[in-house]
Amino acid sequence: MLLNYSHPLEISNLTTWLDTTLRSSMPEFWVLFIEFALVIVALLTAYAVIALILIYAERKITAFFQARYGPNRVGKWGLLQSLADMIKILLKEIVKITRSDRFLFFAAPFFMIVASMATFGAIPFGKGLLAVDFNIGVLYVTAVSSVGIIGVLLAGWSSNNKYSMIGAMRSGAQFVSYELSAGFALMTIVVLAGTMQFSELIEGQRYCWNIFNGHISSIIAFVIYLISGHAETNRGPFDLPEAESELTAGYHTEYSGLQFGFYYLAEYLNMFIIASIATTVFLGGFLPIQVQGWDAFNGIMDFIPSYVWFFAKTAVLIFLSLWVRWSFPRLRIDQLLNLEWKYLLPINLVNIVVMVILVLTGLTLKDLFGII
Amino acid sequence: MSSITEYFSGLFTGIRSLMGGMSVTWKELWTKKVTQQYPENRDTLVISDRFRAELVMPHDENNEHACTSCGICQLNCPNGTINITSEMIETAEGKKKKILSKYSWDLGMCTFCNLCVITCPSDAIKFNNTFENAVFTRSKLIQTLNKEGSKLREKKKETLAPKGE
Amino acid sequence: MEKIKELILNTVPDAVIEQKQKLTVTVAWQQLHLLVKTLRDNAELPFDFLVKLIGVDRGEELGVNYLLCSSTDLSKELVLKTGTSDRENPLLYSITDIFETAHFNEREVYALLGIRFINNPDMRKFFLNADWVGYPLRKDYDANPELNPLSFESVEMVDTAPRIMETPDGLVEETVNVFEDDPYIINIGPQHPSTHGVMHFRTALDGEIVKKIDVHSGYIHRGIEKLSENLTYPQILHFTDRLDYLSANINRHGLCMCVEKAAEIEVPERAQYIRTIMDELNRIDSHCLAWACQTNDLGATTAFIYGMREREIILDIFDKTCGGRLIINQNVVGGVMFDIYNQFQKDVKDFVIYMRSKLREYDRFFSHNVIALGRMVKIGNLSKEDAISYAVTGPAGRASGWSCDIRKHIPYALYNQVEFKEIIRTEGDSYARYLNRLDEIEESLHIIEQLIDNIPEGEICAKTKAIIKLPEGEYYSRIEACRGEFGVFIESRGERFPYRLKFRSPSMALVSAMPLICKNEKISDFIGIGGSMDYVIPDIDR
Repeated sequence: MLLNYSHPLEISNLTTWLDTTLRSSMPEFWVLFIEFALVIVALLTAYAVIALILIYAERKITAFFQARYGPNRVGKWGLLQSLADMIKILLKEIVKITRSDRFLFFAAPFFMIVASMATFGAIPFGKGLLAVDFNIGVLYVTAVSSVGIIGVLLAGWSSNNKYSMIGAMRSGAQFVSYELSAGFALMTIVVLAGTMQFSELIEGQRYCWNIFNGHISSIIAFVIYLISGHAETNRGPFDLPEAESELTAGYHTEYSGLQFGFYYLAEYLNMFIIASIATTVFLGGFLPIQVQGWDAFNGIMDFIPSYVWFFAKTAVLIFLSLWVRWSFPRLRIDQLLNLEWKYLLPINLVNIVVMVILVLTGLTLKDLFGII
Repeated sequence: MSSITEYFSGLFTGIRSLMGGMSVTWKELWTKKVTQQYPENRDTLVISDRFRAELVMPHDENNEHACTSCGICQLNCPNGTINITSEMIETAEGKKKKILSKYSWDLGMCTFCNLCVITCPSDAIKFNNTFENAVFTRSKLIQTLNKEGSKLREKKKETLAPKGE
Repeated sequence: MEKIKELILNTVPDAVIEQKQKLTVTVAWQQLHLLVKTLRDNAELPFDFLVKLIGVDRGEELGVNYLLCSSTDLSKELVLKTGTSDRENPLLYSITDIFETAHFNEREVYALLGIRFINNPDMRKFFLNADWVGYPLRKDYDANPELNPLSFESVEMVDTAPRIMETPDGLVEETVNVFEDDPYIINIGPQHPSTHGVMHFRTALDGEIVKKIDVHSGYIHRGIEKLSENLTYPQILHFTDRLDYLSANINRHGLCMCVEKAAEIEVPERAQYIRTIMDELNRIDSHCLAWACQTNDLGATTAFIYGMREREIILDIFDKTCGGRLIINQNVVGGVMFDIYNQFQKDVKDFVIYMRSKLREYDRFFSHNVIALGRMVKIGNLSKEDAISYAVTGPAGRASGWSCDIRKHIPYALYNQVEFKEIIRTEGDSYARYLNRLDEIEESLHIIEQLIDNIPEGEICAKTKAIIKLPEGEYYSRIEACRGEFGVFIESRGERFPYRLKFRSPSMALVSAMPLICKNEKISDFIGIGGSMDYVIPDIDR
C-alpha cells in the first residue's frame, strides 16, 4: 500500500486493482479472458493514437525546420489535422488495380501492420505496462519486426507496376542489410546486460543506463542502432524504397484509401518502435533518472510516473530521427549498402568483441564504480 | 596503411559534414517563419501598386471615363482579350461621333502583357492590384469595364480633373 | 575572316558569300555536308559550335539556315544557307555526324517543315505525333482542326524509328528499333515529380542501371513560332516570357535586342542599366530555384524550401518594379516598360547582403554533405568535346571547361562595363554544375553591386514608331540566359510581322545531352543529373 501512495499516478495501480477485483468474483479463466481483451483494446487504441500524434508532430517539426508553420487550420494550432486526415483516409475509395495480383495486393498491407502491431505489443511502456514479458524479448522484437518486409515486397510485386517493383527490390536489399546491424547492436547490449528479457534489462539500468555502463562500446552500439533502425523504417535519408523524386512513391504507389493508410500508420509506428526499443535497451526504459546515493533527488524523480519517462525519452529519439530525416539528401542504393557493409557492420563486429572484453575484464562503469 | 587512414578520415569528414548540415536545420528551427497567413492577413497584406491583377477603366465622380473607343487596345491585344463595341451618334452640333457602348475584357484570356495600357492614347484603362478575382464560372471572367450609363469625359474637363485616378 | 572566305571558295567554288548582318554563305544542299565538315576541321579557326539550326519555308524552296561559330571565340560567326525546291519530298543531308546537337534540331525541322535528313540515325518527328497531318511552319499549312482532331484515345508507344540512309546503292528507307531486344522500360514522365515539366523519358533499365534513354517531347508544345508569324513585334514579346519562364526577363531582352538591332533603335542608358540589373536578378532567381530543385531531386526537401524562400525576395522586387512576379513583362522594344520604384536600390542592396549570408548557409548545408558529394561527384560526366558537340552552354557547359558565356564573348547591354568572372570548371560532373550555379549567383551579386548606385537619370524607353517594321533581312541575336545561350532569329520581309521567327532554346541542348551522360548511371543519378542540368521544358516545347 505504501508503494501505491508513493506513486499515485502510475497506471499499474489501476491494473492491479482491476485484477484483484476480477479475481475476487470470477474464475481464473474468465479473468484472463477479460484481461486479454482489455489489453488488446488498449494496445490497438494506443497504436492509433500514437500514430496520429506522431504524424502531427512530424508535420509540425518538419515545417519548423523548413521555415514554415505546418498544419494550423484544423483546430487550434492544427491539432485536429491528423484526425481529419484519418477520417479522410477511412472514407477514401480503395482503387482496384485491374492487372494486379489481387490476393497478394490485398494481403500485403496486413503483413506490414501485423508485424508492427506484434512488435508494438512487446514494448514495456511503463511500470507494469508490459503486455508480455518473454525471456527472449529482444530476440522476439527483432524477429517479429522483420516480418514487415514481406508486406513491402509483396506490395511491390503484386502491384504490377515497375516503379513499385524497383522500390520493393531496393527495400529488400536495404532491410536485410540493416537488420543485421540493428541485431548486432542489440546483441552488444545483451552481452553487457547478460539478459534478453526486457524487465530484467530495465531493472539492471536503475542507477546506470546501459549507454553509460558500457561507455565507448555502448555509445557506438547506440549510434549504430539508431542509424540502422532509422534505415529499417524506410525514412529519409534511407527512403529509397519510396524515393518520391525517383519512383513517385515506390512500393505503395498503387495503394489508396485505407490500404495506403496501413502503410502510412506502420511507417510512423515503426519509427516509434525503433525509438522505444532504443529507449528500453540503452536509456533505461521507463525508469526515471536516478543517482546512487542522492535519495532526495531520486525520490522526486521517482514521483514522475514511469510512462512519462518512457515517452519523454522516446520523444527525444524521435525528434533526433526527424532532425536527421529533414537535413540530409537521399542515399543512392550503392551508398546505402556501402554504409552498411563497409562501415556499420565491421565496426559493429569489432564493437561486440570490445564489449565482451570490457565485461570480462570488469571495465564497465558498474564494475569500476561499484554501482548496483 | 594509407587505405586505413583514408577509411577513417573519410568516415570522420563525412560525420563532420553531416553535423554541419544538422546545425543549419537546428538554427532554422528557431528562425522566424516566412509563411504568409493569407486570409487572416488581408488587412495588413501589401500588394505592390504596380501589380497587374485586373484591367479597370477609371470613372470619375460624374460617372465619366476617358475611353474614346478608338480600338487601339483591341488591335494591340495579342490574343483578343478586349472587345469594344461602339455606336455612332450625332452630337448637338450635328457631327458624327463614335461613343463606347460596351468595353468587354476577358480575364480568363488575358496574359497581362500591359500592351493595351501603354498604347492607350487617352489613358482610359489601367491595371489595378485587386487580385482576388477567382470566380466559379468561366462566363463571369468576361467583364464589362465601362459602368452603366457612363459617358466620355469632355476634353475641357480633362485639364481640370486629375487624370485617370 | 578573309581566310575563311578563301577556304569556303576553295571547298565549294559555287558558294555565294554575302556580308549581311552576319557573313552568309549559300550553298547547294549536296555540298553542305562537305563544307560544314571542312569548316569544323579548319585548324586555325574551327567552326565547331552549331548555335542554331533553323528551318525556313522560303516560298520557292524549303531551306535550312545554320549559324556556326567557333567554340574558342563565340563572336566569330558564320551563317550557312541551303535549301531544296522539292516540296513533295524534300531531302537534305544530315550533319548529325558532325554536330550531335543537330540530331534533335533536324527532327524538329522535320516535324515542323517536313524536310527529312539523309543519314540522321533517327528521323522521327520531334514535338509532334507521327500521324500529324501537315507541316505547321510551312506557309501553305492547313490549320483546319478537322485534319488533326483532338483524340482521347490511349496510344501505344511505338519504339521504332524511320530513317533514310545513304548506301552505295542509293538511298534506303528503313525502320530501326530504338531499344535493344527485350528491354525493361520505365516511363519517366510525362507525369513524374522530377522531370521539371512535362517531359517524357523512356528509359531502358538493367536493374537500377540506365541503359538507354529515349526523349519524347512536345507535350506542351504551343506553336509559339507559328503564332508569332501573325503578330506584331511588340505582341510577340509576351511569348518570350513563357518560353523559359525562369529566365523570362532575359529571353525578352534577347528578342528586344534583335528587333532593336534590326530597326536601329538606340536604347537609353538608364534602360540599359535597368535591363542589366533585372537580368542578373533574374539569373539569381533562376539559379536559386535550380539549386532548390537539384537538392530536391537528390531527396533533400528542406533545402528546396530554403531556395524558394530566397527566391521570393527577388520576386517581390520584380513585383514592385513591374507588377509581375514570374512573367514580368519588363523589356519592350527600345527600353523598359516600367521605371524602377523609389526603394528599388535599397531593396536590392539589402537583398545582396542577405543573399551572401544565405549562400554561406547553402554551402554549409549541402555543398560538403558527404551524401550529396557521393551523389554528385564524378556523376554525369560531360567532356568538353561533347559539350561543344551537343551545344550545351550555360553553367552546364562552363562546368565542362568550355568558356561559352555570351556576356564575355559578345558583350551586350552593360556587360562590357562591369567586372565579373566567368566561372569555369573542368570536372564536367554534376558537382561542377552545382558549384557553378552557386558561384554564378555570387558573380551576379557582384555585377548588381557595381551598377546599382550608378543608374543614370533619363528616359527609360526610346521613342519608337507606332508600328515597328523591320527592313527586309535576316537578324540574329544571342544572349546569355540562365540555362545557356538563348538566341533569336528573325527573317523579315519588311512587314509588321516576322516572316519566320525562331528561338534557340538552351534547354533543348541540355536534354539532348541527357542520354549520353546518363548512360550506365543509376536511376537515382539520372534524376540527380537532370537536376544538375536544370532544363525547363516549356523552353524546348516552344
